[in-house]
Amino acid sequence: MKVAVLLSAGRHPVSGRGALPRLEAQAIRLAAALGSARGLHAGPDADVVAEALGRGLSQIDHVALAAGADPVPALAAVLRAAAPDVVLAGRRGQGGDDTGLVPYALARALGATVIPDVVAARPGSEPGVIEVEQALPKGAARRVVARLPVVLTVHPAAPEPSAFAFGQARRGRIERLDVAAPAEPAAAAIAVAEKSYRPRPKMMRGAPAGGSAADRLKAATGGGEAAQANVMVSPEPREAARAILAYLRQIGVLAPPPGAG
Amino acid sequence: MTRARRDPRAERAAAALPGAARARFDLFARCAGGRPRRDPRMEAAAQRVDGAARLRLDRAQTGRPAAAPAPSRAEPAAPPAPKTIVMAAPAFLVAVVPDLAAGRLSPHDRQLFGAARTLAGADGGVIALAGAEGAELGPAGADRTARLAGPEGYAPDARAAAIASTMAALNLRHVIFPETPDGGDLARRVAVLAGEPLFADVEMVSAAALMRPAQGRRVEQRAAPARLITLAADAVAPYAGAPREARDEPLEPSAAPASAILAAERIPADPARTPLALADFVVSAGNGVTDLETFRAVAAALGGTPGASRVLCDAGLMPREAQVGASGTVLSATCYLALGIAGAPQHLQGVAGCEHVVAVNTDLHAAMIERAGLAIVQDAQVVMPALIEELARERGAFA
Ligand SMILES: Cc1cc2nc3c(=O)[nH]c(=O)nc-3n(C[C@H](O)[C@H](O)[C@H](O)COP(=O)(O)OP(=O)(O)OC[C@H]3O[C@@H](n4cnc5c(N)ncnc54)[C@H](O)[C@@H]3O)c2cc1C
Ligand SMILES: Nc1ncnc2c1ncn2[C@@H]1O[C@H](COP(=O)(O)O)[C@@H](O)[C@H]1O
Repeated sequence: MKVAVLLSAGRHPVSGRGALPRLEAQAIRLAAALGSARGLHAGPDADVVAEALGRGLSQIDHVALAAGADPVPALAAVLRAAAPDVVLAGRRGQGGDDTGLVPYALARALGATVIPDVVAARPGSEPGVIEVEQALPKGAARRVVARLPVVLTVHPAAPEPSAFAFGQARRGRIERLDVAAPAEPAAAAIAVAEKSYRPRPKMMRGAPAGGSAADRLKAATGGGEAAQANVMVSPEPREAARAILAYLRQIGVLAPPPGAG
Repeated sequence: MTRARRDPRAERAAAALPGAARARFDLFARCAGGRPRRDPRMEAAAQRVDGAARLRLDRAQTGRPAAAPAPSRAEPAAPPAPKTIVMAAPAFLVAVVPDLAAGRLSPHDRQLFGAARTLAGADGGVIALAGAEGAELGPAGADRTARLAGPEGYAPDARAAAIASTMAALNLRHVIFPETPDGGDLARRVAVLAGEPLFADVEMVSAAALMRPAQGRRVEQRAAPARLITLAADAVAPYAGAPREARDEPLEPSAAPASAILAAERIPADPARTPLALADFVVSAGNGVTDLETFRAVAAALGGTPGASRVLCDAGLMPREAQVGASGTVLSATCYLALGIAGAPQHLQGVAGCEHVVAVNTDLHAAMIERAGLAIVQDAQVVMPALIEELARERGAFA
C-alpha cells in the first residue's frame, strides 16, 4: 500500500518554536503499519519538517511554495501524480490557520474518501480495501471498512509517536519537487483582521446574568437546578436499588433489563 | 474631576436679605446646585415594603419614593406565561446543524441557537437542520425545522450533500455547526462541497463580526460573519427568549452520492478502560465506602467507570487516575453515581458538567444530596449489595 504523510510547518504549542506537530508524528507511526510511506510538505522551507525523518520517515518530498500561499493546489498536483492509496494528515494544523480544511480539500481534489479522527488503520481483508478505527466521544469507537483511496486524519488518542532517532534523521533524505503551479482557483479566502490573542472568560453554564458570587459558585458546582430532588430517606435497600436502576434507565445510561422490550 | 471653586463673596451676596437698613443674611438658604437636604423619615417611608406583617424596609431603594411597591414574598407575582413567537415571513434564514447525539440537544447544541439568533437579528429566522425528529427545537430557539433525509448509519458524505443542497435551495445566509468531532467533520465536508470558506472554531459572535483563534492561540482573527461557521463550546450563551414555533419546512430530497464506505460498526466504550475524562457514566466511591470489593463489583455490573474522592486516592485505596474533582479529573459524564461522598466544593467542581447525579449518603444534609437528582439517604454498604442482587435477579428472571 502506498502511503503519503502530509507534514505541515507547525509551532510548538508552548514555546512557539517551529516543531513537527504531534498529530503528524502520530500519523507517521500509523503509516508504518500500512506500507512504505513518504512525507510531503508544501512550503517555503523544508527544514522545519526535517524532524519527521527522525520519527520514522525515510524520505520527504518538498514542494517549494511562497510563504502564505494556499498549499492545496500544489499538494493536489503532487498527490495526483504519485497516486498514493492512503494519505495521512493531522486533524487540525498547529500554528497556521488551524482550520483543518486541507485534508478535506485534498480529498475532494483526488476523489478520495475522508475518514476523520483515526486511531488505528490496517489493510483490509481483500485488496483495495482498508479497515480503520475511528475515535468517537466518550471513549466509544467506530470500525470503518472503506474502499481506497482514502484520506485519514489522525486523532490525538492514536498511539504515541515513536521516539526521535538521530541516526535515522541523518540518513533520511528531503527531495525537492518542482511543480508547475497549477491554475486551480483557490477557494475564496475570508478577509480577516489579526491581532494577538486575548483570553476571555469562558461562559459559565447556567450562571444567572448579573448574579452574585454565591450564585456563580452554585452554577460552577452544578447545584441549583436539582433543588426539588427526589430524596428517599432510609428506604429499604432493595427499594433503593430499584429506584437507582429505574433512574439510570430513565436517563439512558443503563441498558434496559434483559427481556424487556 | 475637580470640584468647582467656591466663591464666598458671591455666596454671601446671594444670601443677602433685601430691604433691611443694615446688611442681613439668610445663611441657611442653600445656594442652587448644592446637595439637597436629606429627610430620613421620608426615605424610610419610601423604603417600606407593603403587605408584610411586620415592618420591613427595602434598603436598596435610596432616597426616591418607590414607584411601585416591591412584591411581597407571601404572594409572588406570577410570571406571564411565555408566548410562542411566530415569525411569518423571515427576511432570510440562518441555519443551525445540531449534533443531536442520541436524539437530544446537548448544551453545545443549544449554544448554536444563541449564536444563530445573534446573527439573525430582528428580521431573520433560525432554521434547525436536524437528521432526527426533535420536540425541543422550538423552545431551544428554532423558527423553522427541516428534516434532512439520508441513508441510515454512518454516511457523512450524504449528510454533507443534503446540507449543501439545502443551503442553495433555501438561500441560507449562515450555517452554524458545533466544533465537535461530528459537527466539525460535517462542516468541513460542506465547505469543500459548496466551495465556501469556513470560519472554524469561532469563540465570539456578534452581528457585525466573528472572532476565532489561530496559530495555536497566538493570534485572533476577526472577520465579518462568514457563510459557514463552526462554534467552539461554551463561547456563546444559549438562546434564552420565549419559545419559537419550529414550523416544518418541507425540503426536496436530494440524491445521496455514492459512498466508498463499505461497512461501519460502532464499538461501545469499555467502561473499565475508558479514561475518566471521557467516560459517560461514572460510579464513584468516597470515604463512606469501606467495602471496596463490592464497590468495584457494582461499578462493573452497572457498566460505569470507577471514580473516587480524594480521600480514597490519598489513602491509596483507589488509583490516582480515578480521582474526581478540582485536583483530579473534571468529568464530562452524563451521569454520576456518588456512593458515600460528602460533596466538598473541590469535588463538586469535577462533577459540575454532569447532567444527572445520584447520591447515596447517610447524611441527609450532605452537599452531594443537595446536588443530586435522585438522593438515597441510606448506608452505602447495604445499598451496593442490593444493587448487585437486583441486577442478578433481573438476569435470573429472564434466564
Ligand atoms: C486544594 C484542595 C484540592 C482538593 N481537590 C479535591 C479533588 O480534586 N477531589 C476530591 O474528591 N477532593 C478534593 N479535595 C478534598 C475535599 O475537600 C474533601 O476533603 C473530599 O472530597 C472529601 O471526600 P469524601 O466526601 O469522600 O469524604 P468525607 O468528607 O469524609 O465524606 C464522607 C461522606 O460519606 C458519608 N458516609 C459515611 N458513612 C457512610 C455510609 N456507611 N454510607 C453512606 N454514606 C456514608 C458521610 O455522611 C459523608 O458525607 C481537595 C481539597 C483541597 C484543600
Ligand atoms: N503546507 C502543507 N504541507 C503539507 N501538509 C499540510 C500543509 N498544511 C496542512 N497540511 C496537512 O493538513 C493538516 C491540517 O492542516 P490545516 O488544514 O492547516 O489545519 C495538517 O495536520 C497537515 O497534515
